[in-house]
Amino acid sequence: MNLAVQLAPNHPRGLLLKNPVMTASGTFGYGTEYGELVDIQRLGAIVCKGTTLAPREGNPQPRLVETPSGLLNSIGLQNIGVEALVRERAALWASWQVPVIVNIAGEAVEEYSAVAARLDGVAGVSAVEVNVGCPNVKSGGMEFGRDPKGAAAVTEAVRAATSLPVIVKLTPNVTDIVEIALAVSQAGADALCLINTLKGMAIDTAARRPALGNIHGGLSGPAIKPVALSMVYQVAGRVSIPIIGCGGISAAEDALEFLMAGASAVEVGTFQFVNPRALLDVLEGIEAFLEREGLSDLSGIIGAARR
Amino acid sequence: MRQVTATVISNAEVMPQVHLLWLEAPGMAAAARPGQFVMARCGTGHDPLLRRPLSVHRVDGGQRLALLVGVAGRGTGWLSYRRKGDVVDLLGPLGNGFSIRTAARSLLLVAGGIGVAPLVFLAEEALRSGRAVSLVVGARSASGLYPRSLLPSGASVVEVTEDGSEGLRGMAVDHIDGCVGRAEQVFACGPATMYRSMAGKECLTGEPVQISLETMMGCGLGACYGCATRTRTGMRMVCHDGPVFELDDVIW
Repeated sequence: MNLAVQLAPNHPRGLLLKNPVMTASGTFGYGTEYGELVDIQRLGAIVCKGTTLAPREGNPQPRLVETPSGLLNSIGLQNIGVEALVRERAALWASWQVPVIVNIAGEAVEEYSAVAARLDGVAGVSAVEVNVGCPNVKSGGMEFGRDPKGAAAVTEAVRAATSLPVIVKLTPNVTDIVEIALAVSQAGADALCLINTLKGMAIDTAARRPALGNIHGGLSGPAIKPVALSMVYQVAGRVSIPIIGCGGISAAEDALEFLMAGASAVEVGTFQFVNPRALLDVLEGIEAFLEREGLSDLSGIIGAARR
Repeated sequence: MRQVTATVISNAEVMPQVHLLWLEAPGMAAAARPGQFVMARCGTGHDPLLRRPLSVHRVDGGQRLALLVGVAGRGTGWLSYRRKGDVVDLLGPLGNGFSIRTAARSLLLVAGGIGVAPLVFLAEEALRSGRAVSLVVGARSASGLYPRSLLPSGASVVEVTEDGSEGLRGMAVDHIDGCVGRAEQVFACGPATMYRSMAGKECLTGEPVQISLETMMGCGLGACYGCATRTRTGMRMVCHDGPVFELDDVIW
């Protein structure tokens, strides 16, 4: 059985994954944290923690609130910064079979391009995933990803700054996701990732104040899956570049839904906290489904619900 | 660290809304050190979603492990309903745990409320290695005190209640002055308010005090950064760099 997917068909080097199961940024650290529980080399790709030009301390506590079948977070892009990432993490990644994709974020177009440029040619880094939509940082990504011009400007800048394949992760907190997806696709993205977290909040009624230190956060987890699926379905019919489906996946059945909606690969995030084997369960479940259906690769599945 | 499907051996409500669960968790029980914790899945579906961090309360040989579950919401509520033969999905042991200095022969342990959970394990380990243990346990009232019959017999115990319904009146921290001088190392587990008052106590200034922080966690493995806390050495993850920190390292 061949589960391989090409996520950057228009890129000279491409981004070939041996299977479509990836980790979602911010839920898998730098790839080593789950090593005792999961054979990470079996994964299609690892997407590491969102990385900015300078290190960031992140938002004040509380940073997490559980909601019905969901999780609100406002981590605030706490990360070690691109220099430390290149110095301390990339060498290990270079020895891995599994490709590592670095998720990048910034507060200005110039910051995105500087981070992308720093990662260009670094052994161990296979692609960048551009976060144009983290809803947590007041002056950060949201503004770019909410507007087709802003999203395209970031995409163009990153495209120009690096020879790596460029994935753009879209925010769902927009009026028309298709419009943003088209703009990013035309600006040179190799692939799209849909979706980032949905903006939300909770209130601590005993304290009579917002439950998160940053007031608003991003909602993830099973609660958001129908929203993510709908957006993947809407965009898949309109762009010609591959789509990575992300949002609320907890089992193979969810992943198959995203693939049938038109995604070429999936990212599993929050549910790993619940089931550290979620990624492997998804992978094995996809394999079992293909076998049951008598299929030898994913081509019969991807977009199947659109035909 | 491993993921195990642990079978419940017994469940007893040892204080109001606090359950003592003994579980068959081979491997995990053998590996656990005092101050480490497990992430317990509270159900089998999507809601409540996240695992709950719980201190390892005691171990019995290499097979059995006890958790002290204070019912705070639906997740811990679900755990409290487990009966003999039920299974609980556990991840652990996690975190750094307490570290007793080789030279410290006499220890003071200060417990506030449910914070007694990891200190019972620590007391048992310390007594086993021939150390002297003083344990000051505080609770709101008599019914909230951890049952004396379950405390390790070799420890010298001081009970404190806020309403004076049993033992000394006040907070646990109000009654440690006499013990600090005799102790070569101090350990504490309780609410943040307890640590704040400890940080201001003259008798503890310059003393090595290890505390265990309790906080909401996402992953429990240092991957999500949800439990970050500010320390004098920068942002640290309670789950991965802690939960045990030096009292004077944490910025309150």
